[in-house]
Amino acid sequence: MQLDLTDDQELFRETTVRFIESELPVSRTRLLHDHELGYERAWLRKSAELGWLAMLVPEADGGGSISGAPVLDAAIVSELLGRYVQPGPFIAMNVVASALAARGSDKQRAELLGGIAAGETVATWAFADAAGNWDAGAGLQLQRLGSELVLTGRRGFVADAASADWLLVVATLDGSPIQVLVRADAPGVRVAPLTCLDLSRRVANVDLDRVVITDDDVVGAPGIDPVESALLHAVVLNCADTIGASQALFETTVAYAKDRVAFGRPIGSFQALKHVMADQALFLETAEAGAVAAAEALQRGDDDAALVVSMAAAYIGDVANDLAQECLQIHGGIGFTWEHDLHLYLRRIRFNSAAYGDPTWHRERVCTLAGLGGGAT
Amino acid sequence: MSDLDAYRTQARAWLAANLTPKDPSKVLRAAHGASPEQLAADRALQKVVYEAGYLGIALPAEYGGQGLTKQHQRIWNEESARYAVPAPGGIASHVTLGIVMPTILAHASEQQKRAWVPKMLSGDELWVQLLSEPGAGSDLAGLLTRATLDGESWVLNGTKVWSSGAMSADFGVCLARTDWDAPKHKGLTWFKVPLADDRVTVRPIREINGSAEFCEEFLDDVVVGPEMVIGEVNEGWAITNTMLAVERGAGAAQSGATPAPSDRRLAPDLVALAERRGTSGDPAVRQLIARAHINDFMQAQLTRRLGEAMVAGSVQPVVASFIKLGLGIVQPQRAAAAMEIAGRGGVAWALDDDPGSTASVNFLNGRIMSIAGGSNQIQRNIVSERILGLPREPSPDGDKPFRDVLRDARSWGKKT
Ligand SMILES: Cc1cc2nc3c(=O)[nH]c(=O)nc-3n(C[C@H](O)[C@H](O)[C@H](O)COP(=O)(O)OP(=O)(O)OC[C@H]3O[C@@H](n4cnc5c(N)ncnc54)[C@H](O)[C@@H]3O)c2cc1C
Repeated sequence: MQLDLTDDQELFRETTVRFIESELPVSRTRLLHDHELGYERAWLRKSAELGWLAMLVPEADGGGSISGAPVLDAAIVSELLGRYVQPGPFIAMNVVASALAARGSDKQRAELLGGIAAGETVATWAFADAAGNWDAGAGLQLQRLGSELVLTGRRGFVADAASADWLLVVATLDGSPIQVLVRADAPGVRVAPLTCLDLSRRVANVDLDRVVITDDDVVGAPGIDPVESALLHAVVLNCADTIGASQALFETTVAYAKDRVAFGRPIGSFQALKHVMADQALFLETAEAGAVAAAEALQRGDDDAALVVSMAAAYIGDVANDLAQECLQIHGGIGFTWEHDLHLYLRRIRFNSAAYGDPTWHRERVCTLAGLGGGAT
Repeated sequence: MSDLDAYRTQARAWLAANLTPKDPSKVLRAAHGASPEQLAADRALQKVVYEAGYLGIALPAEYGGQGLTKQHQRIWNEESARYAVPAPGGIASHVTLGIVMPTILAHASEQQKRAWVPKMLSGDELWVQLLSEPGAGSDLAGLLTRATLDGESWVLNGTKVWSSGAMSADFGVCLARTDWDAPKHKGLTWFKVPLADDRVTVRPIREINGSAEFCEEFLDDVVVGPEMVIGEVNEGWAITNTMLAVERGAGAAQSGATPAPSDRRLAPDLVALAERRGTSGDPAVRQLIARAHINDFMQAQLTRRLGEAMVAGSVQPVVASFIKLGLGIVQPQRAAAAMEIAGRGGVAWALDDDPGSTASVNFLNGRIMSIAGGSNQIQRNIVSERILGLPREPSPDGDKPFRDVLRDARSWGKKT
């Protein structure tokens, strides 16, 4: 996806590919489909040794990036996770790491960041309302009762909640968005797993019933910027994941079209299919350009990073879903089987396009961010 | 202040003193070719720009350029974007500088480059492309215009069509067949043809939008000397490929001539249409506007990405077909979206500068990019065969002499 990787990044990418191909190639990810948590903690710790979970953690807190551009480094991993339909809480953990790195107290950093970087502590980000939509915390009230803070309500669509030790919960305090750390085993926290289209992923609703926390658990000051920043990190990594999955699926499809014979010639010689693949190659190339633009805008901290990120997400979500459908069509009957890996990608891509704002939502957000008056929000 | 900053300051001051800002309402009005007076005035103004050193900024001095860097050129592009930079003959000027000149620089002899390029830059010579023929568009190599050797000179006969800007131009680069016994791609040669020649008839053709920006030409025994041959005789196809890649976006992408649209200004024409109808709060309209804006933004990102890769040498110029196909897909969609937002305002209006009138012109022009310079289907053939490596279309042409291709086409599909 990124064209100009540094030598270090290139090496890191190769190491990551080797690790995935030996530890958890696509064939072996199937063995985890019925696994309750979707992945093994031992595997997560091993992956952390490569630095997967440390990119957005400052060196002083036990982390470190490859190139000094942590978002771009993390995007390299994300893309490969999509390419090999890897399970696990990579995106959510990196989002939590970025939030704590930017605004966590000394105590929070000490308690969590080292553990996250090492894959010892699993943390996830509970950002969505009960219906799974972004609400900047509006749907979950944090109430002050004396020296205590109390949370009651539901966060929906929480990635890997069932395997998490910590939740970074987006809520509202006195009308302002706020992020707070909640222990997954705290009294009043109940995780209700959902059935997930994407066999490589786990999501759950998290019910919070009078969960008591203290000021020490609040991450940074209230305000929209911190939760927005977390969202941008999630969207950028999610886009990279979709790109990786789309590339793998498309490459497989082109190879299949060259190989499969009908009417005495490879099906890839029929113009009706060639033109579909030409369009998909164009859309994928464009999507990659968009994903890189989004990652770079976030990395640089551009003023309009949110706008660029939403533009990329809207585009990528749509074209990747179309691409997956066309790839299925080109495969014919074999693509409709459980046995073939195609559906692993189709599911992953479809899931991603709903995970952190769907394309329609991102388009409306583009209008709002660009100041087009008259919208609903 | 760095050299580049100083250059920017200097360019900015020069522009403010010498050119007028662009009038956006003028951009899309239908044109019937420039009047002789307008053409002469625009040429004169181009000469002013050239003599001030702002044309051919990154070209070597021996070709009339300034010998500066691509960054200097980029700075000029950025600074001049808001100004009415003279383009004599409109499209003819863009073809001269944007398509023909880069091709000439890549393939013409040293002597030809030194003689011709400065005149293109100064506005003294406008050049257009004489490629398509009534019987050869997508299948360009099937063209029938012939050039026959007569002593040292070449005699050209044939009909060219759809030549953008030819009514204002001085010369055409003309692709003609010089060997009828060679396979069809192997007997073609490039010529420089003077359009003012008595034996060339240039006739404007009225277009779908009412204007007349392209022409047909009849070449009746046009005689040109050997100095007018570009590249080697019978090796014109390689030059054609260069020219088409440049036209499809390789040129602009590599020079950075297409700046990314300003990210925050949502598709201004569509917003104007929605505000006119009071629908900018309508969620469906907002989706259309956002989608169009995102497509514009993504196309700019694609162009930038491929341009950088071309400059780095990691991809071949053939990837320009991505840029072309992208435009060919997105532009008709965008034109349709504008009409949807315009509603009845796009099919009837009171004043010529109404946004609905603009939308209607864009609607009629919506298929330019999907046809001109090689249709979407041809780009898809190129992408699938030359980029994805899918098997080529079976063709009855094969390596037959072109004479036999012509004969056999008549009986194609008929049982023998
Ligand atoms: C606004 C405009 C400006 C132009 N300017 C110039 C110019 O300056 N100079 C110049 O020389 N020409 C110019 N052209 C001509 C242009 O290059 C041709 O129109 C174009 O290449 C298509 O050729 P054609 O018109 O002969 O259509 P055809 O080749 O007859 O194509 C008709 C249809 O068949 C499809 N088709 C053809 N072959 C295949 C295939 N192998 N597979 C699938 N589908 C196929 C095409 O995509 C198209 O949809 C211009 C055209 C336009 C519209």
